[in-house]
Amino acid sequence: MTDNDTPNGVGRVLGTEHTSTREFRVVLDDAEYLQLDDLVVVRTQVPKQGEVRTYGIVTEVAAIYEGASFESDTHRIAVDGTLPGAKVRSAEIAITRVDPELWVSPDPGEKVERARGAEREKALYVDEMGRPLPIGLGRDGEPVFVDLDFFDGRKGGHMSISGISGVATKTSFALFFLRLLAARPDVLGEGAANLRILVFNVKGEDLLWLDKGNRYFDQTAADAWQTLGVAPGPFPSVSFWAPPRAQSGDVVIPDTGGRQEGVDAFTWTPREFIEDGLLRFLFTDATDSRNQIPFIEERVRAQLRRYAVDVEGRPGAVVLRDPIEGHAPGAAVVPNPGERVITDLRTLVSAVEEFVDPEDGEPDQRWTGRVQAGTVSAFVRRLHSASHRLGHLVRAGDSRRIDRMAAQVTVVAIQSLHDLGQRFVVGALLAETFAEKEQTGQRLPLSVIVLDELNKYAPREGNSPLKEMLIDIAQRGRSLGVLLVGAQQTASRVASEVMENAAIRVAGRLDAAEAERSEYGWMLPSTRARARLLKPGTMVLSQPSLPVPLVVEFPFPPWATRKEEVDTSATDPFAGL
Amino acid sequence: MGQLYVEGWAPEYGSPFEADESLVDHDKVDESVEVDGPWTPLSGSDDGTGQIAFVDGVRRIDARLTIDAPEGPTPGICGSYGVGAVIWDRVEGRSHYTDLRVERLAVFGNGVGAPVPSAGPIVYRSVSIPDADPGMLIKRFHGAMRKAEANLSEQLAQSGLFVIADGPINDLSATEKVGYVKSHRAPYLSPQNAPIIGRLRMGERTPLFVIGRGGQYERYSWYQRLADLPDAHSWTGIVRCEVSSALPRSAAATIADRTAGVLPLVASQGHVDPRAPQNLVPIAALEKQLRRLLGDRAFVYRALRTAVATAAVEA
Repeated sequence: MTDNDTPNGVGRVLGTEHTSTREFRVVLDDAEYLQLDDLVVVRTQVPKQGEVRTYGIVTEVAAIYEGASFESDTHRIAVDGTLPGAKVRSAEIAITRVDPELWVSPDPGEKVERARGAEREKALYVDEMGRPLPIGLGRDGEPVFVDLDFFDGRKGGHMSISGISGVATKTSFALFFLRLLAARPDVLGEGAANLRILVFNVKGEDLLWLDKGNRYFDQTAADAWQTLGVAPGPFPSVSFWAPPRAQSGDVVIPDTGGRQEGVDAFTWTPREFIEDGLLRFLFTDATDSRNQIPFIEERVRAQLRRYAVDVEGRPGAVVLRDPIEGHAPGAAVVPNPGERVITDLRTLVSAVEEFVDPEDGEPDQRWTGRVQAGTVSAFVRRLHSASHRLGHLVRAGDSRRIDRMAAQVTVVAIQSLHDLGQRFVVGALLAETFAEKEQTGQRLPLSVIVLDELNKYAPREGNSPLKEMLIDIAQRGRSLGVLLVGAQQTASRVASEVMENAAIRVAGRLDAAEAERSEYGWMLPSTRARARLLKPGTMVLSQPSLPVPLVVEFPFPPWATRKEEVDTSATDPFAGL
Repeated sequence: MGQLYVEGWAPEYGSPFEADESLVDHDKVDESVEVDGPWTPLSGSDDGTGQIAFVDGVRRIDARLTIDAPEGPTPGICGSYGVGAVIWDRVEGRSHYTDLRVERLAVFGNGVGAPVPSAGPIVYRSVSIPDADPGMLIKRFHGAMRKAEANLSEQLAQSGLFVIADGPINDLSATEKVGYVKSHRAPYLSPQNAPIIGRLRMGERTPLFVIGRGGQYERYSWYQRLADLPDAHSWTGIVRCEVSSALPRSAAATIADRTAGVLPLVASQGHVDPRAPQNLVPIAALEKQLRRLLGDRAFVYRALRTAVATAAVEA
């Protein structure tokens, strides 16, 4: 059937099923089609109210032989031709909006039109978004928007990205989003000034090339970036940090494989370690909280702060002296002969051990509290193990802590560290960032943290200082301008407080069993089914300003993600684009 | 005593074989028109005719009516019928509906007529007959449908299509239209030729015979088998077809050959159609489509009652 008298008409609202305020079906004109994610509008005349426009998005399409009642009729219609029958195509529409907001269902038989231009924006609530930022392209090649009010803390904060490893391209999407965020100060507004982004590189060395052009970047991708309103290019302002190579003696070399140039090694001095209370991030295993270790850790952390005194001529090093001796804050002393000078984690552990578990004599209860001997042993054992695994992160000397102000994007490469070391670095940096913002109490400037494998840092089961920190950021970060872009394979394994506070939810390809979990309740049934099949570069996006999730595609990145991709040609690779 | 069989047709459709010998005037049946002598089965042949039109009609009594007058009540009925055709395009390998039409008719007895108030799109044409017997009212209604079918068959045949019309033919003009009779109320064959029915295989037919020789309704007829069904009696899968005797005998024979060869291709299957195999696939689909076009029975009935009641108040 065809009654196409308007250029955008695609069909009519199906009349053999009830329409509702949630969904309806369209019977398509012979000469038209609808595909998944297409946007449509229907005009319905409502008694006493006038015209109401219903906007929706295609969630499924279908075709059938009308007139066939047995399966074998298919042959009678299509092959023998003995049975008259006609192909009928239809599309299922999930309603996104009714305008004006009068919640009535669309009338059967009404004309269904493709929503284009201003109608498309209405269907996607772009007209109601405070600050719409393009966040990818719909299947129609037009931009899809996200309301930044729900990311930067005004109405909501944080973003959560889920998807299986490899094909879900979680980190790629996070970086794509941040690149747009940084490149569109016209949308971000006041938050754009001094925006700081902290990214942890936890696998491979994918993120160590953000400042380099990608030689495989082509015109198609460039066009897509232009459609999003951003001139394509690598990140303009990035600093790279890596832990020092272990056992490299006095020379501090960043522990990275493919890239050394432009990468700084970071360490903390014993003084910084004690001042920042980083001891707690040595006990981040979720099982540590089930015993008494947190009690003794807290006590030791406080005592270290009270006892530590700087050493004359040895920046960053400390000695432990009883505060009764009355050292003024900031004072530096000359160590006594034989006095243990703490210059790294190993010496710090030995010094602590002398108080809590001396070889000769009783433990100092001012340091241990009243925990049992077994707990003290467990505590010391963990200290030794930590010293072994991440001892090279603490060393005396000039401060080499990560300078997050040096560039807009700070990439911290922790992929070479043991799990314990990774958690330590993440904990230390989150604490630092959060403490800074807590002090000012201001939302601006914005500080964005990108953390993959969130389930490792904030697991659903158990407790750890790192998990508490992340929950704190999830709950209070939005008012303090600390915004978490968390990624994980399985949302069901991440602390629910962290998941629940993410206003913007994104999913790439999901494991079939995972997709059925309640963590993905924000998806429509049809979206869940699709989430098992999503290609790299395609994500499902949910945001509070839109009642249905959208499927968006994001273009190939103009920055390199591997050493082999780095564009080494001398000329500006983006000159012609 | 013959063997016992259970009929393949669902019971509500009657039996494809309901012999009522009294209807046949054997004096007017001429079995020697094609083969003079003992009969043997003749093979049909599919001559590849490109387009075949199947014509059919359906009818439904929508309501019984009464005109209440001082001199006594007058009975009436009103009903809807639909006629149309399926064109089987064998070149394209597709079938499509054509000329689907729905008519609504009210029939009153006693020669008294009254307009039926129209209910939106549901408009009844009103006629009357002198009789008041309910059977006659229905017969008049049925006749209107048969007339419409005949008109459509004739129209399609004149446009050059080969027409298969459900039921006996009405219009005896010399065009290529075949009347297709599914159930056999009357055995036309003489006892010496009747056993041929049991020897017909799928795609074969009997020689032509003439019915109503010399009369107003003279036509050529033949029996043919649509399907060989195992464990069934000899009349299973047999249909009788007829064409106008205004056609030359040779033309009638060609049509009979073609019909015997082609119709098995559109015979229905037992698990799909309760009147298999005689209810042809295109005709079954056409009937379904026409019934749908008659409109929902309850809706039509209610609309009619409302219209009549409203008209009464306004009067």
